[in-house]
Formats: sequence, C-alpha cells, structure tokens
Amino acid sequence: MSGFTAADLAAAAARIAPVAAASADELNALDGQLGDGDLGITVSKGWAEAAAAELPADLGQAFLALAKAFQRASSSSFGTLVATGFMAAAKATKGREEAGWDEVGALLSAARDAMMARGKGALGDKSVLDVLDAAAEAASGKAEPGAILSAVDQATDQALEAFRDRPNRLGRARMFGERSQGLDDPGMRAFRRILDGLVADR
Amino acid sequence: MKKILNDPASYVDEMLVGLTAAHPEYYVQPERRVIARAGGATAGKVGIVTGGGSGHLPVFTGYVGTGLLDACAIGDVFASPSAEEMAGAMRAAHGGAGILRLYGNYGGDVMNFDMAGEMVEMEDDIASTTVLLADDVVSAPPEEAEKRRGTGGLVYAYKIAGAKAEEKADLAEVTRIAQKTADACRSIGMALTPCTVPQAGKPTFEIGESEMEMGMGMHGEPGIWRDQLKPADAIVDEMMERLMADKAPAGRVSIMVNSLGATPAEELYIMYARAKTRLEAAGAEIVMPLVGRYATSMEMTGATITLCHLDAELEALLKAPCDCAFWRVG
Repeated sequence: MSGFTAADLAAAAARIAPVAAASADELNALDGQLGDGDLGITVSKGWAEAAAAELPADLGQAFLALAKAFQRASSSSFGTLVATGFMAAAKATKGREEAGWDEVGALLSAARDAMMARGKGALGDKSVLDVLDAAAEAASGKAEPGAILSAVDQATDQALEAFRDRPNRLGRARMFGERSQGLDDPGMRAFRRILDGLVADR
Repeated sequence: MKKILNDPASYVDEMLVGLTAAHPEYYVQPERRVIARAGGATAGKVGIVTGGGSGHLPVFTGYVGTGLLDACAIGDVFASPSAEEMAGAMRAAHGGAGILRLYGNYGGDVMNFDMAGEMVEMEDDIASTTVLLADDVVSAPPEEAEKRRGTGGLVYAYKIAGAKAEEKADLAEVTRIAQKTADACRSIGMALTPCTVPQAGKPTFEIGESEMEMGMGMHGEPGIWRDQLKPADAIVDEMMERLMADKAPAGRVSIMVNSLGATPAEELYIMYARAKTRLEAAGAEIVMPLVGRYATSMEMTGATITLCHLDAELEALLKAPCDCAFWRVG
C-alpha cells in the first residue's frame, strides 16, 4: 500500500515553516484590514512550533503533536481552529504508523467538519472552511501524492477567486461586510501560503 | 490607572504566588496556570474542573476545595486560559472516575475547553463531560437561553455538583446534578462604576455620576441599558422582577446578593432586605442566603443577584459540607 508516515508529516512541516514565516507580514496586513491583525503571527509561530516538534511514529500522536504546537503558539481562535483540524486527523489515524494517500480527501473533510462544529461556521461564509472544502473535494478519489497536490493547488486558487468579491460572514471580519468585498479572506490566503510551502520546489 | 501592582504583565502570576503562599492547606500549583487541591486528586471520585480569566476572585480559582472543585485553569484578567492549561487542570483533577468540566458559557472558553477534552481523551484516556452555566437572564431572551453568559450561578453549580462528587457518585450522575443546578439558576447584574484591566490601563467604559448600568456581566463590559441612579429598593425591585419573570419562584429558593468587587457589605445587606421581601411576597421560602463577594469583576462598584430554585435533592447538596479559603459550610 502506498501511504504517508509521521516522517512525511515532519518533512512537510519543515518545508511549510519558512514559507509561513516569510508570509507573516502579508497575512498580518490583510488581517489588519478586517480583524486584529495577528493572523501572520499565529500562522508563522504555529508552523515554527510544528516544525520543531518531535513527532511520534504513531500517526494519531503525530497529528496530536501538531495540534498542540498550534495551541501553544497562539490561543487565538484561528490557532484553536487549526489545532481542531489536526485533532480530527489524529482521531482518524490513531494507532497506525501509515495512512493511505487515498485517505487525504477524507482527512481534509474530517478536519473541515470538526472546524465547522467548533467555530460555529458554515460553508459559504468566506473563511478557511471554504478553501478546506474545495481541497477535500479535489483530493477525494485520488491516491497519488503528486496528483493530490496539483488538484488541491488548483482548487485553492479557484476558491480564492470565487470568494474574493463576496462579503465575509464569519468571525470579526463579518462586521466589515461590504469592506471585505474584493479582499481575500485572510484565513483562505493563509491556506494558500501553506500550500506554497509544499509546491515550492516541485 | 491607580492600582496596587508591580507590573501589569505579571499581575496574575504574582497573585497566584500570594494565593498559594497564604493558603497552602487548600491550594497547590502543579503548573504555572493551574491550581489544584492541596491533597491532590481523590481516587475514585469524579474530578470537577473549571477555568476562566482572572479578575473574579473568589471565582473561579478560589473555589478549589473539599466539596467544591478539584482544579482550575487560570487565564489573564478576563481572558481564557489555553487548551493546554485546561488539559493540565483536568490531569491534576483526575482520580480515575472521569472529569466534569463546569464553567461559564463564553465562546473562547468553550472552544479551548472542548479542545482540552479531546487532548486528554487522546493522550490520557480520560473521559469527560461538560456543563455550561448560562444564567444571566438579560444576555439573551428565554427562547435563546443557551446563548446566555454564565455569572453568579457558577457558585451554586460548584457547590452542589461538588457535594455530589464527594459522595463518589459516577460521572453521569455528577453531570446530571450539575446540569440540573445550571438550569435552576437565574442571575442579573448592575453597576455604578467600571473597572480597569491591568494590561489595558483604561476603564472599560465611562459613566456619569448620577447614572447606573443595568444588565452588567462580570467582565467590566457595559450593561444592556443605562438608567438614572435610583434608591436601592427600586433597583432591587427591577432586578427581582426580571429574575422572577424569567422563572417564577415556586417553593424553596437560595439567593445570592454578590458584590462586583468594590460595593461594601453594608449596601449588599440593604439590597438583601428588599430582595427577601419581594421573594417572600411572591410565595418563595428562602434557604441559605449568600451575601458577600462571590463572583467579582475587579474593582467594579455594583452587585449581582442570583436565584437558585431548589428541590429536596439540590437543597441537601447545597447544605452539605464544603471548605476552601473563601467559603466553608458545615
């Protein structure tokens, strides 16, 4: 069976961390137009902690370590939501040292659902949930890592494009309503930058 | 800002040093932001854990003690503790019979405590349940009662669920009693002056000499409406009418008249006298009235009133022994 292990997770975190650090200012500035302007700090500190974390061989425990890294980095609601997503993956992979690439779509769906429940968010509100939803759909039915990554890459751009001119309806950004039209949602943009870390040297 | 402190950034940590130094027979600090019972977790007993921001003493931390809470996670002033700190409190409270998370209904606390519950289930195999206090009647209408915030009712829930856990009841039973208590509580608040969060350095709102805020929570936030200051009886009448309209007293009721921090006991007793008259006129019989500082909001001037509607089961648990640095029964 072809799949991924905790070592693959550690390698991915190591590639994402420097890209996340480099996009901190961009994400802070975007978030500052709609919220409290600390999203870049949460994302860069979170991935720095994740890359530095010791990941156990058990995939569930490895995902849990990633969740805790984000929780440590920031108790902001975005940090808790990302941790929630990793926790959903942890539950689905507990007790296994390898998971199939064909499970990536289901893991993304599980993360999306757990984050919706915890953040009381809905699809269509223009948030990180929408881009996760697009990514989950793009990944589902695929079992080859390269094919998954390029499908998710495309779906992410399409989701950003489709939501850019719509108003935010979730979190603090919803209070800005019309002013959020024409701006990328900061959480969606953060997902784009994380993905940049994975596609960078391909 | 006029406060007795050394550094706003170390306000909470220095407070915890003093609290544990003054009361070593009650409190230990197993982690930086966790307070647990001095004797540790009780084997075979359901652990009751709470958490929330600082600035409310005796709530939340103060009520760690026999017949009350087992551990508490402590945030900065009016800020949620992190999920890791909450998980730390759950581990400190674990005696092998599971954990009840019992706390106020605030968004940040709920997200972090749910996360903490998943963490200890995954890592330590600890089963846990949640009961939220949502007793403040003005914070949402009755049809959206689940959106209300938690205030003074927490004290009754700690006391009654704590007594049940001390009987070695199982997790389902302790959870049922805690929920029953939460459902039986109604609270309302009013304030004359705001407070200052040390790290913010400015008062939370401005108010005129002759004005009062009605419908205050316990985080220094403005109330739901503002009124001209009235005599104590008129203030209490309005508070009692709203509480009794939300749940009519039928039988035995405990009442708490609580200072938000700066209001003196004298004024609480003036309020209590009127509240008792109103409750008895409505046909209620008062059990174990509580008058004093139970759930504060830094140095705000003002008061909250909580009614806890009792039946025989809740009343017996309310009167059972408890002991912490701030409250002893029996």
